[in-house]
Amino acid sequence: MSLMENYRRPINIVALINLMAFGLLYFYQQPYDYRIVIVGVLITGIVYLTNILMIKLKYEDEILFLIVSMLASVGLIILYRLDPVLGYKQLAWFVLGNVLFFCGAYIYRKLTIWDQLIYVYPVLSLILFCLTLLFGTKIKGATNWIMIGSIGFQPSEIIKLLFIFFIAAYYRHPDKLTINNFPWYRRKIKLDSKYVFMFLVYLHIGFLAAQRELGTGLLFLLIYLIMLYVFDSNFKFFLANMGMVLLGGLAGFAFVHHVQVRFMAWMNPWADVAGKGYQITQSLFAIGAGGFFGTGIGLGQPEYIPEVTTDFIFSAICEELGVFGGVAVVLLYFILVYRGIKITLNIKDCFHKAVALGISVMLGFQSFIIIGGVIKLIPLTGITLPFISYGGSSLTTSFIALGILQATSFKAVGEEVTDAAEIQQENN
Amino acid sequence: MQQKYNKKIINVLIFISVLFLSVIGYLTYFEFAVKNNIVSSSYNRRLWAREDRTLRGTIYDRRGVVLAKSELQEEKQERIYPHGSLYSHIIGYNSISYGKSLLEARFNNELLNINPLNPVLDFKDKLTGGKSIGNDLFLTLDHRLQEKAAELLGKRNGAVVVLNPRTGQVLAMVSKPDFNPNKRNLEKNWNELVESEVNPFLPRATQGLYAPGSTYKVAVSAMAIEKGLDAKTFQDEGSVVIEGKSFSNYGNKAFGTLDLTKALAVSSNVVFAQLGVELGADNLKELAERVGMGKKIPFDIPVSESRFPYQSMNKTDQAAVGIGQGKILMTPLQVALIAAGIANDGLIMRPYIVDRIISQNGFVVKTQRPAVLYHWTTREIASEVKEMMYQVVANGTGRNAQISGIKVAGKTGTAQNELTEKTENKEHAWFIGFAPVEDPQIAVAVIVEYSGSTGGGAAAPIARELMANWLGR
Repeated sequence: MSLMENYRRPINIVALINLMAFGLLYFYQQPYDYRIVIVGVLITGIVYLTNILMIKLKYEDEILFLIVSMLASVGLIILYRLDPVLGYKQLAWFVLGNVLFFCGAYIYRKLTIWDQLIYVYPVLSLILFCLTLLFGTKIKGATNWIMIGSIGFQPSEIIKLLFIFFIAAYYRHPDKLTINNFPWYRRKIKLDSKYVFMFLVYLHIGFLAAQRELGTGLLFLLIYLIMLYVFDSNFKFFLANMGMVLLGGLAGFAFVHHVQVRFMAWMNPWADVAGKGYQITQSLFAIGAGGFFGTGIGLGQPEYIPEVTTDFIFSAICEELGVFGGVAVVLLYFILVYRGIKITLNIKDCFHKAVALGISVMLGFQSFIIIGGVIKLIPLTGITLPFISYGGSSLTTSFIALGILQATSFKAVGEEVTDAAEIQQENN
Repeated sequence: MQQKYNKKIINVLIFISVLFLSVIGYLTYFEFAVKNNIVSSSYNRRLWAREDRTLRGTIYDRRGVVLAKSELQEEKQERIYPHGSLYSHIIGYNSISYGKSLLEARFNNELLNINPLNPVLDFKDKLTGGKSIGNDLFLTLDHRLQEKAAELLGKRNGAVVVLNPRTGQVLAMVSKPDFNPNKRNLEKNWNELVESEVNPFLPRATQGLYAPGSTYKVAVSAMAIEKGLDAKTFQDEGSVVIEGKSFSNYGNKAFGTLDLTKALAVSSNVVFAQLGVELGADNLKELAERVGMGKKIPFDIPVSESRFPYQSMNKTDQAAVGIGQGKILMTPLQVALIAAGIANDGLIMRPYIVDRIISQNGFVVKTQRPAVLYHWTTREIASEVKEMMYQVVANGTGRNAQISGIKVAGKTGTAQNELTEKTENKEHAWFIGFAPVEDPQIAVAVIVEYSGSTGGGAAAPIARELMANWLGR
């Protein structure tokens, strides 16, 4: 039971921060809004409940979920402060996310056919892409939403997971993609599995580019390159891909207008503050207004930042919680990635290892791309901040991903000899 | 296999760590270095939101004359500059359309009482809904002296800097041309002002860069004394050829045998060109550094760096620097600091213009105290140079700066510029000086652009009037 005692303490911190933040929000609002208290208590309750459930179900890595609870709490606090209605909605998505987390973990553990579905993943992805292109709704310049009634969802969020599974399955069965009788000028030629794989990957990215989802496209590229680096024994193939990506990037910069616009807005947003540089400069003003300690929750003006509930939520965090608050969030993502990679290191099965690594780096890169973008460290490409940004698709997908990561940690210990000494030896 | 993967995975972790660390590093860098330059942008709506709730503080001169104030007019506040263009290059402007500049930008937080460590007070204001009032700035400027300086410069372009050499307090600072920062005038004239060839938005005293001309001979003299060249005498035949380039006196006058004191008094280019060569590149570079060229002067409004752009110097360069020409460029403030440094026994005091910041309930938020900026020469050398500068006014080119009953020290300068090569009578006229010599209370630098006259003719009378005015004669 020492395990339980070890894990009880951090959860109290999460609860304490939640109660303090919602308490402040409550006292700030005039007239007093008792619903704030209810939301705060609800979130804290859910976090406790999940934690107890995880201990009962003997999940291995409770810390992983605690980190995410903290991130989601920060997101809910900021969202509630920005717009209470969005706060309620996000709370509902948060509850659903928690359920999906357990479902995801359970299903992933029970089924053993995941690596066999190598053909299914890309086909599903492509179908979803085509559906988005055909029936998609254009929101903020990107055609990436499918509306079913009044509820919209972003297929690219689900495709992220399919993409990781596809790559993982490929490295378990590297030869399954070979096409033997490919018709080519009336001849039949044999296409190597490697090239078919590569083609399918770039097809994904091509679709994303066509939908103008530059951020997600960049994320896919990074995940692909990392997987290539780790799992492909052919280092030259990795370098060749790097070269292609660089060339592609240069070509994109040379020929695609909106890539140029983003780049110029990054280089010198002050040249056109009222126009192209508007978003990023408003974001910088917000971060500057917060200083190191922030204005305090509810005391800043994050409503001046465009798209503050989704892409620019980190700027709002920096304004009201200060750069220290922002750095704390960055560190939370960092230990999340660290825990994920720690799990990855202990998995012996290649498929599960790839899935765990894919999810870990996905969460890491996704947060880096958007945080780096809104602070003007790198060019801005819109993507959600996992677990914090408003949005059902993003939040639930992130929770499913987390559930799968959690399940792979089971595989790490469950399927292999749990001899710590042996693992130790191997790691050295 | 397993081990190989894990090694690479560790590398991936390291890579991601670097990414996250760069985010944290950049955020810290942003707070320290970038933020202050951008938050005062007029596109930052936060500033104006704050201005809706807080009445901006008032700016006073050293005797309590109001130089800028905010008044409520139909729920909106307007910034009013009662003296029009007189302080446009010190206080700047505060405009919803065009942003903020100079003191209005630099002391925005103080004027609006924005305190990053004190959100509690903010919170109180927000709850009570009351309009809070910002802090007031008390400047070191003297309104009467400022008016006098502007009047003396008149319609001519140029700059005047008046300092207390003992403390570094700026007593008056005028740059011309200037502009009227009041809302109606600024909005009406904006395009014209931006496009104007004479650049009325340039605060010449702090950001105009000029060749210091013969005023730089004061600095060269100090270095010459330090290197023991003051005992030498020179033959002045009106011009001297150094490595094929001829350096001649103003009007090609030959002065015959000169010692250092006389050479400064008559402003002999022949002597100082040779002194430049004798001192050599290393000494000239060291001198430039000691008087602060190529360094940022910490000041309450932005100051351009004075330039000493030589990597290597041949003899012609050395001779040119010896007479304050060549590629060296200085701001009038920097030139004033050289004079003030001699007046203050070799110590250059840090210049400042905001004396104290007082909150509405009389609480002193911040005061500035005199501090030494550079030790540029010794007390002994400074007192020798003082005497030499006194001779300039008493018997030399600076006679126009004489005040009866007060010993005045000074140095004239007539600086060539890009126009003098093509057209005649386009030299900049310089004068630097301080008084009284025994106990300097005031140091002055005056530059009149393209005056077509000498420093003694155009600039020295302005300096005399200002010194006499300040010393009460």
